[in-house]
Amino acid sequence: MPKYLFIYRNEPMPAPPSPEEMQGVLAQWGVWIEKFMKTGNLLDPGDGLKECGKVLRQGGTAVTDGPFVEAKEILGGYSIIQAANYDEAVAVAKECPGALHGTLEIRELAGFS
Amino acid sequence: MAAPTHALVEHFFRHEYGRLVAQLARAIGVARLELVEDVVQTALVRALQSWSLRGVPDDPAGWLYRVARNAATDALRRERKQSDLGDRDLPEPLEPTSDDAIADDQLRLLFVCCHPALPLESQVALALKTLCGFSTGEIAAGLLTNEENVQKRLFRAKERLREVNFDPSVVPPERLPERLEAVRTVVYLLFNEGYHSTHGNELVRRDVCDEAIRLGRLLAADPATGSPSTFALLALMLLNAARFEARIAGGGQHLLQDQDRAKWDPALLAEGFHWFARSGVGDELSRYHLEAGIVSKHAAATSFAATDWTAIVGLYDLLLRIAPSPLHALNRAVAVAERDGPAVGLAELHAIPPASIPEGYYLWPAVVGELHRRAGDFPAARDQLARAYRLATSPSERELILQRLKACTPP
Repeated sequence: MPKYLFIYRNEPMPAPPSPEEMQGVLAQWGVWIEKFMKTGNLLDPGDGLKECGKVLRQGGTAVTDGPFVEAKEILGGYSIIQAANYDEAVAVAKECPGALHGTLEIRELAGFS
Repeated sequence: MAAPTHALVEHFFRHEYGRLVAQLARAIGVARLELVEDVVQTALVRALQSWSLRGVPDDPAGWLYRVARNAATDALRRERKQSDLGDRDLPEPLEPTSDDAIADDQLRLLFVCCHPALPLESQVALALKTLCGFSTGEIAAGLLTNEENVQKRLFRAKERLREVNFDPSVVPPERLPERLEAVRTVVYLLFNEGYHSTHGNELVRRDVCDEAIRLGRLLAADPATGSPSTFALLALMLLNAARFEARIAGGGQHLLQDQDRAKWDPALLAEGFHWFARSGVGDELSRYHLEAGIVSKHAAATSFAATDWTAIVGLYDLLLRIAPSPLHALNRAVAVAERDGPAVGLAELHAIPPASIPEGYYLWPAVVGELHRRAGDFPAARDQLARAYRLATSPSERELILQRLKACTPP
């Protein structure tokens, strides 16, 4: 079955969410993960990404502090799922908090499945 | 193994915010409240990033605590570097403490929020923000104002706290009773904002009440602040809160006489009566004792008709003596009307000097109109109820008055 990478991006928030709202988002993630672990779609919930990183350019001769600043949205995390096709992957993504609170990009993994 | 993210207890983030702010404010100083809130917020955002996909760690409170402490140390170091101070005078690293010590920190911060240099409405907003982890939007919804106003209040309050440079660990013992009185006022105000407002989001208002009760429990549990008046305040809030669900059951707003008493919360009633009994020790008699006494009479009655109105009128008499207020006078007249009939209640209301009645106060004509209706004087009832309808500002108030207006016809 094809595997897909879910890439979560967030725009920087104008006002930080309240503690109560944060707990609400966290609970949504919990529900989503539990549901699609059960269906077998979610192979690896993945992880969030810390804000700071390094960017290498010019064959590794130029190393700067990241993240990749050209993007307006910050790469916030990833998951790996499996689905019969893009339609099924999109259906899983539609329920994902990553899509509700930011942008979710789906990319099919190219390797043999 | 990490737990699913929805396994966290209700309001975990909100309450951890309050606990962390209180602990860090003790370590770094209340003059730095802005920085303290920033680093606690940072810790919560990191938790959200890290727990969303990986689940909640075994000790989420400890996790947050470590991240917040490190963020605070980093922030202070950065500041010192900029001002060439190096690591000199860096506050002691914060050590993990017990729940008791954290309760102390929260009480200390509560006394800071209730500092006499701050206007009362700022005290309430500041307590909700720092101790209860409410956002400005949530505070605005709970206190029936707008966000911009809340932001202004909070900004000025923090500025003022820096100016007075108040050290909460040194409230002189002789000033404690007076400061404690101010703290009780704010906690009760907080509760009333949530309980009596008929505006805004029902859930947020319920949360405001729960927070007031939580602070009341903290005050009651500490020997320095747990006096009979504090117990009475806590009892009063609990006995009122027990009726919360019954008030709003099935949508709309139910007055005491229309409530299904089986829906009153037995656990809150029991806890309320426990503290009410303890408030009777000693010779303190506060407005909280009398108000709790009134609520306890309602709570103990098996039906509205079986209410001990004579006792309630007597309690209002005492209450009016130590805390004169038009609202108490109005409630007393309602109790008199229940005991002696609507005509007697109306006579009581007419004896009150009109100048002492707040203008534009919808409840006054609403009660006068209702008593006229019960006395069978429908033209006067319609007149007063129509006035109340124009003055009422929330849909649920209007709905209640409309029902009374419709009932203004001979049976």
